[in-house]
Amino acid sequence: MSLSQMIIIPIILSIFTYLITKKIKSAGPIINIILSGYILYTIVNIYGKWDILSQSLNINIMGNNFNFILNNSPLAWLLGIMTVGSVFLISIFSVSSQKNVKYTASFSFLFSILMGSILGVVFAGDLMTLFIFWELMTWSSFFLISSGKKEGAKKASYRYLILSTIGAYLMVTSIFIIFNQINTLEFTEVANYLQSIPTLNSIILIVMMGIPFLIKAGVFPLHIWVNGAHSNAPKEFSPFLSGLMLKIGTYGLMLLLYLVPLYNILDSSIKFRGLPVFNYILALFGGITIITGTILAIRQEDVKKLIAFSSISQMGYIVMALAITTPLGFAGGLLHLMNHMIFKTTIFLTMAAVIYRTNTTKMSEMGGLIFRMPVTFAAYLTAIIALAGIPPTNGFISKWVIYQALIQKGYIFLSVAAFFGSIGSFMYVFKPLSTVFLGQLKPIHRDIKEVPILMQIPMYILMALMVLFGVLPGIQMNIINQIAQYLNIETVQSTLYTITGAYGAWNSLIIFNVFVGGFLIALIIFVFAKKSKLVGLMDTYTSGEYMDDPEAYHYAYKYYRPFDRIFDSFAAKSLTRAYDTFAQNITKLGNLFNKGIVTGNGQTYAFYMILLIVILAFAGWMI
Amino acid sequence: MILITILEFLLIAIFAMALGLLFMGIARKVVARTQKRIGPPFYQPYLDVLKLFGKDAITHGFIFDFGAIMAFGGMIATLFFVPIGGIYLYSMSGTLLLVIYLMAIAYLGMAMATVGSGNPLASVGISRALTQMLGYEMPFIVVLLTLIYSSGTSSIVGIMQAQQGGLMNWNLVNVPLGTVVAFIALLGLMGKKPFDAPIAPSEIASGPVVEHGGKYLGLIMLQHSVSIVVKTALFVNLFFGGASNILFFLLKMLIVWLLATLIGSVFPRFKVEEGVLFYWKWPLIGALIQAVIIIF
Repeated sequence: MSLSQMIIIPIILSIFTYLITKKIKSAGPIINIILSGYILYTIVNIYGKWDILSQSLNINIMGNNFNFILNNSPLAWLLGIMTVGSVFLISIFSVSSQKNVKYTASFSFLFSILMGSILGVVFAGDLMTLFIFWELMTWSSFFLISSGKKEGAKKASYRYLILSTIGAYLMVTSIFIIFNQINTLEFTEVANYLQSIPTLNSIILIVMMGIPFLIKAGVFPLHIWVNGAHSNAPKEFSPFLSGLMLKIGTYGLMLLLYLVPLYNILDSSIKFRGLPVFNYILALFGGITIITGTILAIRQEDVKKLIAFSSISQMGYIVMALAITTPLGFAGGLLHLMNHMIFKTTIFLTMAAVIYRTNTTKMSEMGGLIFRMPVTFAAYLTAIIALAGIPPTNGFISKWVIYQALIQKGYIFLSVAAFFGSIGSFMYVFKPLSTVFLGQLKPIHRDIKEVPILMQIPMYILMALMVLFGVLPGIQMNIINQIAQYLNIETVQSTLYTITGAYGAWNSLIIFNVFVGGFLIALIIFVFAKKSKLVGLMDTYTSGEYMDDPEAYHYAYKYYRPFDRIFDSFAAKSLTRAYDTFAQNITKLGNLFNKGIVTGNGQTYAFYMILLIVILAFAGWMI
Repeated sequence: MILITILEFLLIAIFAMALGLLFMGIARKVVARTQKRIGPPFYQPYLDVLKLFGKDAITHGFIFDFGAIMAFGGMIATLFFVPIGGIYLYSMSGTLLLVIYLMAIAYLGMAMATVGSGNPLASVGISRALTQMLGYEMPFIVVLLTLIYSSGTSSIVGIMQAQQGGLMNWNLVNVPLGTVVAFIALLGLMGKKPFDAPIAPSEIASGPVVEHGGKYLGLIMLQHSVSIVVKTALFVNLFFGGASNILFFLLKMLIVWLLATLIGSVFPRFKVEEGVLFYWKWPLIGALIQAVIIIF
């Protein structure tokens, strides 16, 4: 299977998937499992074959020679395997979970197109190919989001589309400006061109190309589409949206920051602690993203919204780490990119499982599911330990590397933002744990069972990955160092279970040992003490009150009210509302324009046409 | 070889538990004296723990058990990375940040166990504890980052060694503002008054421990004792220059602990959001000023 086949086959096959799934309901996910499984196998096999699999297609359009290139680089390979892997896992999950869903056929159809187009984006070797598949990705994900069951799905997907379109216009403009100058769009040629022109011009071009990537990555102040889209998308698509689609935005940023060495372009500009101010501002935006996401995540009562805001805040880490362009920052950003994909996919999948059983996303309407859904609980627990960055899981290692990168340069304000997000994450990940899984079981949920085995399998796989990468980060560091070499960045020293940072080294083997040691001592004391008697959850200390209603006895609504009170005024200033006001003003302006010009009189329009012809003739004569 | 390691593990754990319980006893005596009471004998916590492990206990399901074990195990695991005098098991070169996050395992275990009991008072306590954590950790971590930057290492032993050679090299003298800030953060870290809203006995019936009895309360007491040792030892290592002699080290730990106890015994309680806002005001500003002085 060549690179182009990997991209084209899912896109073409999707039509057949659609037709078959219309007839047989469970066929769609199964076809996607087989397809993504086979592509996964192929991608694993092309590991290490950098640059030798490249393909190109030459098309002549109106005298312009477009060269479409596909290329296999370590970075593309990493994102490719992440894409196909998560499509594979989510398809396994969907077989059972989509039994009662209306749009199974279109879901499988669009999901297949989406996989092909993302592979197209990451394996693209020139800007034109990247742009074409980028648009295909935007549109297929737009339809996927809008097929969500909830009320807000339409509005959320519309907002997503508007922002993406703005991004697309900027991107296509910059692409044609560049093409006009150098007649080629190959990445290395573009990079050379951007380094040869004056700094200001190249910065403008880079910002124009970067904004679509920042929109996709959900960086403040362009994050407004993220929470609506994530919370309203179909429950099987949210894991992919958060785990992978956001990362494609950072892939674009990596191209701009490292493949086009932005650092070289800005080398002569003003610097702050050895970092060009442009980069520092980008990192600062990452920091603001972390803080905003964290504060808003803590306030949410809807579990999918909570996780969506947490995704925004975690993307801030990746953007910040990549923006500071040190070897440690690059490694930390990439590590967090991989780890975030793993644990965020897990969290969204476990929540999809909970929603599948309870049919609600409100946290206050659930509770005490731990005894009914233990596997889901275990997966969620592992994932939040990783997200909160607690050893011995993978999440801590990536955060540790990012902190090392921040301290190394003494960026104290960025560090404050990073730590705020990290400790705030304890708060927001504990909220679903406490209100959904722990506490009192609702009487209506008494007969709930664990989800079917096919929905559990992806959770087991992801749990294993989190612990594996927590103990052996060298597996990830190996590919990261290859990417770094490919992009001419210094590599970070590492072995299978150690990473050397700026101020000290990481050794996960020792930590694992100590953790097991501590746990065993506690276990021994516990086991040798007197055996205890099991009583029910309602049999608790109530200060003498008699309680018989578990529903009223569950503390879930407004869990962090004292904390939220601090930020009430901050949260009231919604950025979305600011954008809405802006849009309303534009509409008003347009209406004003309408009044004078759109008269409804045929003669006026005829006059406009004549005027247009005159202007065109004049313009043609001038040129 | 492995046997010796296991023996070391056990000895250090037992030593820390005994030391922590002794500190708890001393604190009870000191608090009683400041309030013009006689107070229990200093060995009372030992008797309490022994009594608790002999009593019958109730459990609310496996998460209640698992959480208790996780809380205690996580705290002991943290202990192995904090040097006490000349004694330390592992001195990896990146331990300082690790210790902060390892302690979180204990908190998470504790939180799971208590919320798993199904008592809303416990949930309120945990929600307050986590909120307050975001308060005190911010200034604390800024100070820690400053220390890491100025000492050029993120290992606790390394920072301790960088302060050798008399009082003038201690971070207490070099980073005075940071020391004060870290001490205020330490009060919150140990749940001392005025930052004891999470356990507030008169409001939420001791919050997190409301459902714990028998061996569970015993485990929580042991966990608390180890956490006292971890936190005071960490503070002594970072700001008081540590010590190679175990007796000197214990003396310094006792001074820090007594200071925290005395301050805690005279203050009333902050409401939880007031506590958080307090931490984000003066301590955070102080920590940032200190950081700017050291780094720029």
